[in-house]
Amino acid sequence: MARIQLENVKKSFGKVQALDGVTLEVKDKEFYVLFGPAGAGKTTILNCIAGIVMPEEGMVKFDDEVMNLVDPAHRNVAMVFENYALYPQMTVYDNMASALRSKLYKTDEDKIKEKVLWAAKIMKMENLLERLPSQLSNGQKQRVAMGRALVRTPNVFLMDEPLAHLDAKLRNSMRTELKEMQANLGSTCIYVTHDFMEAMALGDRIAIINEGKIVQIGTSDEIYYMPCNEFTAQLMGDPQINIINAEILGDKDGYSVSFPVKRETVTLPLPKDDRVYDVIRVDGLKQVDFGIRPQNVKYSFEPKEGYFKTTVYSYESIGNKSVISAECGDFLHYQLRMIAPNGLNVEIDSDIYLRFEMDHVILFDPETKEYIVRYDEAGIQALSDQTAAANA
Amino acid sequence: MKTGKQRALYVLQNFLLIIYAVFALFPLIWMVLISFKSDTEVFTTTFIFHPTLANYQEVLLRSDYARYILDSVIVSGGAVLVSIIVGVPAAYALARYSFPRKEELAFQILSYKFAPEILVVLPLFMIYQKMGLYDSYVGLIWVYQLISLPLLIWVVRGYFEDISVEIEYAAQVDGYSWYQIFFKMLVPLIKPGLVSSALLAFIFAWNSFTFPLILSSNKVYPVTVAIMKYLGTDSAHYGQLAVASTVSALPAMIFALCIQKHLVRGLSFGAVKG
Repeated sequence: MARIQLENVKKSFGKVQALDGVTLEVKDKEFYVLFGPAGAGKTTILNCIAGIVMPEEGMVKFDDEVMNLVDPAHRNVAMVFENYALYPQMTVYDNMASALRSKLYKTDEDKIKEKVLWAAKIMKMENLLERLPSQLSNGQKQRVAMGRALVRTPNVFLMDEPLAHLDAKLRNSMRTELKEMQANLGSTCIYVTHDFMEAMALGDRIAIINEGKIVQIGTSDEIYYMPCNEFTAQLMGDPQINIINAEILGDKDGYSVSFPVKRETVTLPLPKDDRVYDVIRVDGLKQVDFGIRPQNVKYSFEPKEGYFKTTVYSYESIGNKSVISAECGDFLHYQLRMIAPNGLNVEIDSDIYLRFEMDHVILFDPETKEYIVRYDEAGIQALSDQTAAANA
Repeated sequence: MKTGKQRALYVLQNFLLIIYAVFALFPLIWMVLISFKSDTEVFTTTFIFHPTLANYQEVLLRSDYARYILDSVIVSGGAVLVSIIVGVPAAYALARYSFPRKEELAFQILSYKFAPEILVVLPLFMIYQKMGLYDSYVGLIWVYQLISLPLLIWVVRGYFEDISVEIEYAAQVDGYSWYQIFFKMLVPLIKPGLVSSALLAFIFAWNSFTFPLILSSNKVYPVTVAIMKYLGTDSAHYGQLAVASTVSALPAMIFALCIQKHLVRGLSFGAVKG
C-alpha cells in the first residue's frame, strides 16, 4: 500500500492537452475518486500512475519515491480497464490468475487458486471460471476485470469506471461490497467515475476534474454543499442545481435578490446570516448567480403567500420521485427544476407557484462563476471536518 | 416450406455451380489421366485407355525430380520463414506505432505485389549477376519476399490492429515484460491470421515461375521450372510432363484442403472480439 502523489503532471496527445498541471495527493489506504465529464482526463491520470502513459512534465511519486521512469510491471499497481482488456484466449480463471503467474509476482498454484476463488466469490461469478471472455456479457467481463485486480496486493488499485456496465441492482450491491472490501483490505484505491452517486457514495475524497485540470478536491459533503464553482455544482446532483442570475437590492439591514420570471420581476428577501451579509456588504456585490438545489424549491398549484407564479414546462418520473421543470424565461429560456412525488396530475403549461428556501442558497460570481459564499457555511464546514476525521 | 420459385432458384444455382466445377476441374482431371497414359495414347480424347505407371517410374525414379521438389521446399519454405521473422514485427510496428509516413510505407509494401514480376525481373537479373546471388538459395528466398512478405504483413497487421492496446497495458500492469507479452498474449491471438497467410504465401511462392526461371539455372532448380525439362526441343513427353505437374501440384492441394476452413476464416475474420 502506498501514498500516491502527482506533482504538476502534464501530458498532451498531439494538439490536445489531456492533463494540464495536475497535482494531487492520495493518502495511504484512502478511497480516492476522480470525477468529471467525459474527456476530462480521468483515465489519463490513471494511466500516468500505472506507467502506461509517460507524463511530459511533472512527477509521479509512490511514498515519496519518484516513479516516472519505472515501467508498469515494476510499479506493482492493479488496474481495471474501462474496456475490460481481458485476454481473449484465456479462461476467466486464467485471466484472473495471470498476474500471479508472471515472473515478477510469482505465486504457487494453490495460493493462486485460493485467491481466485475468493475474488470470484466476491464478484459473484464462481460459475463462470471456465468460460472464455467471448462467452461473457459485458457486465460479467467487467466483473472478471475487477477480479483480476483484486487477487493482487498492489501499491494501489486503479479502477476505471469498473461498475459502468453492470445492471443497476448489481451495481448497487457491488458498490457497497467494494467500499467494504477496500476498508478491509486497507488498500489505496483510485477510482474513476462519471456517476456522481458513485462518487459521493464511495469516495473518502473526491477530485473534480475538467479539461485536464483539477477543479476541486474535497470530501463528498464539501463538494456537494460548497462547490468551488458553478461547474462543480452542476456536476454534483441530479436533477441539476438551479442557477439564476440576479441583482442584489437593499442594504445591510435586509438584502434581497431580484430576477426576471416570465415578464415580471421577482424579488425575494435574503434571510439574515452574518457571514452572507458580511460578504455582500464588504465585496459590494451587485450581481450574483445564486444556486438552489431542486429539493429546496417548493411548489404549489394554488396561489400562496410568498410564492411566485410561473408555468409547468415538463413533469417526468425518475424512479421513486419526479422532476417538475417550470418555465421561467421569456426571451431567454430557462427552467427551474424541483423534486415532486410521483403520480401527480400535472398538466403541461398549467400554472405553478414556487417558493425558494432561501436559507440553502449558494452564491456564485456571475463573471468568474466561482463560489462566493453560502448559507450556514460554518455548519457545513464543521460537518465535513467531522466526516474527514471519522475517515481518518 | 420452400415455394416452387425458391426451389427452382436453388436447382439453377446448383446447376451453374456444377458447370463451373466441371469447367474448373476438367484440366486437372485431364492432366491426371494423361499421366497414366503411354505416349502413343496421349493424343486420344477417349476416356478408355491402357493405364500405365511408366511415366511415374520415369519421372520419380529415373530423373532428379526429388531434388527439384526439395529445392522448391527449401526456397518456398525459407521464403515464408524469413517473411514470418521479418513480417510479424513489421506488422506490429505498422499497427501500433505512429511514425511519419507510416501509411505510405505500408502502401509501398503492398505495392510490391502490384508490379508484374516480368517487369522487375530483368534489372533483378543484372543485379543478382553482379552480387553473386544468381542461382543461389539465398537469392531466390530473397526475391520471393516480393511475393510472400506483403501478404503476410497486411494480414497480420489487421490482426494486431484488432487487438485492443489495453490488453498489452493490462499485461504490463500484471508484471509481464514486452517479450513475454508478445509471445504469451499476442502471438496466440494473431495465430489464425499468421498460419493462413503463411500457408497462402507458401503456395504463392511454390507456384512462382518467372523468378526462378530467370534468376536461377542449375544449382537451384524449383519444380515449376524443372517441369519444362520434360518438354524437349525435339520431342515432348506429355505423359512425363503430366506426372511432374501432378506431383508438384499435390503439396499446394493438400495444404489447401487441410486448412480450407481456416484459410477463409483466417483471412476474412478479425482476430478477436474481446
